[in-house]
Amino acid sequence: MHLKRILVALSGASVDPDVIRYAVTLAKPTKAELIGVHVIEVRWNLPLDAVLENELNRGEELLDSAVKIAEQAGGKLETELLQAREASAAILDTARERQVDLVIVGMPYRNRMGKTYVGKTVQDVYVGATCAVLAYRQEQPQ
Amino acid sequence: MKEDEDPRAAAPSLEKREQQSGRLPGDRYVRIVRPGGREFKRQGGTYLATDRVFTARGPVAGAWDRLRTTLIGRRLGSDAEADERVSKKTGLAILASDNISSSAYATEETMRILALAGVGALTLTMPIALAVTAVLAIVVISESRVIRAYPNGGGSYLVALENHGVIAGLVAASALLIDYVLTVAVSTAAGVAAISSFVPAVHEHRVLWGLALIGLITVGNLRGVREAGVLFAAPTYAYMAGMVGIIAFGIFRVAGGDIPSAPLPPVPFPEAGTQALGVLLILRAFASGSVGLTGSEAVANGVPSFKPPEARNAVITLFIMGTVFAVIFLGITFLATTIGIRPDESELETVNSMLTRSIVGAGTPFYYYVQIATAIILLLAANTGFTGFPRLASVLANDRFMPRQFADLGSRLAFNTGIVVLALTAVVVLVAFGGSVTALVPLYTIGVFLAFTLSQSGLVRRWYRLRNPGWRISIAINSIGAAVTGVVLVVVAATKFALGAWIVLIVLPILVLLLYLVHRHYQDVHDALVLPTLELKLPPSVPPVVIVPIARLDRAAVQALSFARSISPSVKAVHVSTTREGAEAFRKRWAKWDPDIPLDVIESPYRSLLTPLLHYIDAIDKADEQPITVVLAEFVPRHWWEFILHSQTAFRLKANLLFRRNTIIIDVPYHFEDGARIT
Repeated sequence: MHLKRILVALSGASVDPDVIRYAVTLAKPTKAELIGVHVIEVRWNLPLDAVLENELNRGEELLDSAVKIAEQAGGKLETELLQAREASAAILDTARERQVDLVIVGMPYRNRMGKTYVGKTVQDVYVGATCAVLAYRQEQPQ
Repeated sequence: MKEDEDPRAAAPSLEKREQQSGRLPGDRYVRIVRPGGREFKRQGGTYLATDRVFTARGPVAGAWDRLRTTLIGRRLGSDAEADERVSKKTGLAILASDNISSSAYATEETMRILALAGVGALTLTMPIALAVTAVLAIVVISESRVIRAYPNGGGSYLVALENHGVIAGLVAASALLIDYVLTVAVSTAAGVAAISSFVPAVHEHRVLWGLALIGLITVGNLRGVREAGVLFAAPTYAYMAGMVGIIAFGIFRVAGGDIPSAPLPPVPFPEAGTQALGVLLILRAFASGSVGLTGSEAVANGVPSFKPPEARNAVITLFIMGTVFAVIFLGITFLATTIGIRPDESELETVNSMLTRSIVGAGTPFYYYVQIATAIILLLAANTGFTGFPRLASVLANDRFMPRQFADLGSRLAFNTGIVVLALTAVVVLVAFGGSVTALVPLYTIGVFLAFTLSQSGLVRRWYRLRNPGWRISIAINSIGAAVTGVVLVVVAATKFALGAWIVLIVLPILVLLLYLVHRHYQDVHDALVLPTLELKLPPSVPPVVIVPIARLDRAAVQALSFARSISPSVKAVHVSTTREGAEAFRKRWAKWDPDIPLDVIESPYRSLLTPLLHYIDAIDKADEQPITVVLAEFVPRHWWEFILHSQTAFRLKANLLFRRNTIIIDVPYHFEDGARIT
């Protein structure tokens, strides 16, 4: 598959740096554009465009560090900060609008009752995306 | 905008929120867009300018930025200020190098005066050295109390200001500023002299070498206090190790009865002497030895440079500095007098060199090590001036006694203005005195002792006023300090007056007056600008009378007229023509275009464009009481060098109107790319 544009969903989890480095590795051969997206989920009791200072600060910080990690890995990451009721819907709509070829989502290493736990956002992106989706599961921490 | 709308909502913002519709009906989301990219970051309720705002635009700016980064280093954020603080180890190197380096020549300076009364008078060198050390001990103890009383730095200036009043504070500050400049000039000249002892060719161009060295130390200091400390720490410790080693080995030999033989100087002083040994000569010798006390005030002035606890670290550094100086100074004096070394009248070889030569032998690696280390520390003593002057200037600037630029921290958290001004002033002094140490030294030390005396007496008044527990002991210590430093001041001023100290005594009151005038100006500006209360509402705005000078009826003029019309209905265009035909042609063209803006055409038979225009504005201003707004159409070429191809009348008019009362100047620049918006 010739990748032209890759969307990297960033949640601020510990898996994010690995996902960014992996995305840079995938983007390099075809010089694909990398778009890092962080979605601030807004509760239903607030207006969608509410200014959530703490979440905005956190979102900006994690996008800043994502850019730095990408630069260190030899890539260039464009970023987008979004607000939505559900992160998965905003990721899917952005992927469609930007015509990306691949969405990469990260899954922190989590177990529930001995089974790997896949979060709701990852599941919804997996099911709803019209392009290819790659779920990067974090290694078991040592 | 409707009347009930909040004007803040329509104001430009760094953040835009774009509502986006999703694929499904309920999937709306908001995209947060930053037109400025990542140049600004959110921080609480404010925006934080990141280092990206300094990204150079264009190749020239980029090249300059790379050069600046190579020389001075990358920019440091304000949060790195704590990292720029120095430890006791580095603080000793950068703040005490001046004082410690004085030990290299204090003995010789004393001996050279005593030798005028004959070789026999040199036996008084040790008692005088002990007296100088005693004064230093008093100064160190007194300065430690200054540090504890004024932990935010400022030293003698603040003490004198708070306890004796503004004039005394300014006298202390001026004295120190002058002395810091002289520290740089003298140390550089002494360093070059030390180098020229090894490489005689340097002597011929000593001023140029001095300038180059000042430039080097300036760049080192512009890189920030911490880096300057790292650069200058090694030579200071190398000198200390070398001198302590030579003294220890010398004492070991003397104690073992193996007293080295004294080498003869190239040009010895006459055995019998040329002057009688009197009180005045002894006082002169003491004054010359007191040169070793210079630099001891730098630690008290630079307390905020230390890592926390600042005051404690500064006091410890001060005591270490005093101890190191005393050990080296007394050690050299003891060995020089015991061995019987005499100073060289021609100044070809230093006492330090002869002493080292007699103890370890000429041409040995250790001899060269000590000489090179001495040369470097003499040179780097200039750094104490670079540490003290900018910091004191910043304190004065914060108190509005010096221009505010002196208080601004540069890209490396150093006081760049102070550093550059000090370097330039020291360069002027060095050039004026031809780079001669002998010519510069008499100007030295007066400032330091004047500041010491004022600060010590100021502390006496402070202790008496506060009467804290132990105030009697404090008063006793600082009274002794004030008396001793006062006596030394009188002795130094009297014995060095004719030799050049008078220059300092003339410059000092002038500087005090300048500082005072600067303060008065800032006070006037403050009185004129300050808001008496924050309950003040914005005054209702009245559309201004707008004049638009038009040189040609072109796109730039149309843009300026369009803007002028947007801010006021009362717009008038004016055209100045140097010929009758030109005036007539412009008037006809204007009438044909018919922009519904009145036009005045002025014919200028004397071919001057600017003067008739200025008088026209004066005349309009007299006819109308409202402020005049002049909207200027200014063409901006694509490249900076294209400016010389245009007459820049707008620029000259702007310069002429800048200081005109009741006049608002609005510049409407017209760039090449602007054409698309008008067609």
